[in-house]
Amino acid sequence: GYVQSPGGFGSPAGAPAEKKQRSRSQNIVPCTVSQLLAAEQVDEAFRISDVEISQVTVVGIIRHAEKAPTNILYKVDDMTAAPMDVRQWVDTDEAGGENVVVPPGTYVKVAGHLRSFQNKKSLVAFKIMPLENMNEFTTHILEIVNAHIILRKNLMSASRAPPSFSTGMSDMGGYGGGGSLPVNGLSAHQSQVLNLIKSCPVPEGMSLQELKLHLHSMSMSTIKQAVEFLSSEGHIYSTVDDDHYKSTDAE
Amino acid sequence: MGDIHEVPRPRIAAGHLAQYIGQPVCFVGRVEKIHPTGKFFVLSDGVGKHTTVELSEPLDEEISGIVEVVGRVTNQATIMCMSYVQFREDKSPFDLELYNEALNIIHEFPEYFPFG
Repeated sequence: GYVQSPGGFGSPAGAPAEKKQRSRSQNIVPCTVSQLLAAEQVDEAFRISDVEISQVTVVGIIRHAEKAPTNILYKVDDMTAAPMDVRQWVDTDEAGGENVVVPPGTYVKVAGHLRSFQNKKSLVAFKIMPLENMNEFTTHILEIVNAHIILRKNLMSASRAPPSFSTGMSDMGGYGGGGSLPVNGLSAHQSQVLNLIKSCPVPEGMSLQELKLHLHSMSMSTIKQAVEFLSSEGHIYSTVDDDHYKSTDAE
Repeated sequence: MGDIHEVPRPRIAAGHLAQYIGQPVCFVGRVEKIHPTGKFFVLSDGVGKHTTVELSEPLDEEISGIVEVVGRVTNQATIMCMSYVQFREDKSPFDLELYNEALNIIHEFPEYFPFG
């Protein structure tokens, strides 16, 4: 999903120059306003339950809109907390057109950067899109839960790293992790199971029994859990029956 | 009047009303009927359960389709409405059943979707 994307929007033109830290998260993470308000700031970075965030998306209803010469200030409400300030910079060189104020009472999806000034959080938006299909609002709710579960799970498996990796120095946040750890968000067990399944050339794939033969140290229930996870994430699929699996990446 | 919009308003379905008595909530449902006085209307949620919504002032417009209500749950497990919004369905119908599924998930995983 898009959690892995490099966030192709790039830096908004009006934003102050960012320090080029290697650890800056490249994700764009769907969040609730309550999560953004609870995010802790360490130097230039924000963390929600230790997951680093920078670019976020929020879906909510516009409660208030105020146009100023250089920016439009909105208050966006997603019911999880008080409405959040969302600022959209206006390009003063462009005549009229580009920045039409979205009226209060409109549901929008906001993509922007989280900011904090004098302990007050706000968003600087690079995109504000009125929702045309309200099912996107439902999807956003599901995407928030999904993204945060995945990001936190990655952090759990990443935290098995040797103590020399200190937060802020390495790019451990989200999918940025490198080095000796699996970068695809899988735990060690899941990776081992997946690699074995990938290596199997026969059409009916590898059976649970064969996996157990190869992975003596893993219990059958651990193997089954790994298979279930890999299958639900789309890395593998069952073939002749629920005991046989092939990789979706197989050559 | 504006106060309720400054606090967290958990999204709930009709089945949750009893647990949220006295609390601010957000309820999304389909308009089933409107009382002739315009002071009450009934919404159904994604599993078809009905909820009564009361207004302090009668409705001054026709409402229909999917409505999102912000209000407080009364002792009778109705909702005293402070504000409401109609969901646009001009391009696509809103899947209320899917929304209900999403509610089940956020109630099951409040650590990933916190209210407040």
